[in-house]
Amino acid sequence: MAEAKKIGYGDLSGRVGVEEIRARGVDVDKLIRKLIANAAAEFSSTYYYYTILRMHLAGYEDYKEICEDARLEDRAHWELIVPRIYELGGELPNDLPTFHNQAGCAPAKLPDPPTAVNILTLLLESERCAIRSWGEICDLTVGKDPRTYDMAARILNEEIEHEAWFIELLAHERDGKSIPSGHFRRGEPGEAPYSKNRRFYNP
Amino acid sequence: MPEGRAELAVGEDQFLWQAAGRAGIALPSRCRIGWCLSCAARLLAPGEVDQGAARRYFAEDRAAGFILPCTARPRSDLIVLTHQAEAMRQHRLGLGLPASLG
Repeated sequence: MAEAKKIGYGDLSGRVGVEEIRARGVDVDKLIRKLIANAAAEFSSTYYYYTILRMHLAGYEDYKEICEDARLEDRAHWELIVPRIYELGGELPNDLPTFHNQAGCAPAKLPDPPTAVNILTLLLESERCAIRSWGEICDLTVGKDPRTYDMAARILNEEIEHEAWFIELLAHERDGKSIPSGHFRRGEPGEAPYSKNRRFYNP
Repeated sequence: MPEGRAELAVGEDQFLWQAAGRAGIALPSRCRIGWCLSCAARLLAPGEVDQGAARRYFAEDRAAGFILPCTARPRSDLIVLTHQAEAMRQHRLGLGLPASLG
């Protein structure tokens, strides 16, 4: 391991928490950039899941409930990521459209026509993009940056569960098949069992 | 970045990324709908590509020879340099165009 850059006594121009992970081989600028892209994707998905779920799944109450769980958990992810970006010395753009454009996954806009099958397909692919994105963060940080790795792994756990939910629903709705997710419903909407480990905690 | 050359045939309705995968060439890709730039590549010689399936692709990208293989349907023979995500991102940002940071 390279020696970490020295931060002088009382020096506020640097962060030991950043220099230590840089010395372990983390490309901190790249990590910040990818975290911002992932934050934008999670923020965007919580918005678009509203439009899809609340407005266009009428009559599919079970789908609505499951989509709402995924939406609330994506919102929890967004809230979890942002403090880490600032801890690492990064910041969010001071402009929402700029932030939206930086997202690592495409906005989950309402498909045309907005059938349940089309909506579930879009939600499934949205979760898959999130899995790939958080897998990249895990790969960048494993064994080097335990704090970011822990956060990314928690989020990844939930994204993998979301994929399983939408596979199950789409198999039923589109193909008339049973492909169980292996899960039962969350205890309550937005439970986020991995990423929201302390209720109302938002540093 | 991997090295080497490969030649492959792409069906009329196939995407370049998909055809590469079927030929055993694993190209990067995250969103797989032409948004994130992870799969970006650059044409090394003039060629025709249908990028109609991409969620975000600009005339300036085409003019600079950048393509998004995950949603690129070749319409002529192509010579392509892969793993150009950072170059395409810098190209977009340099022109003030939207670019994913991921």
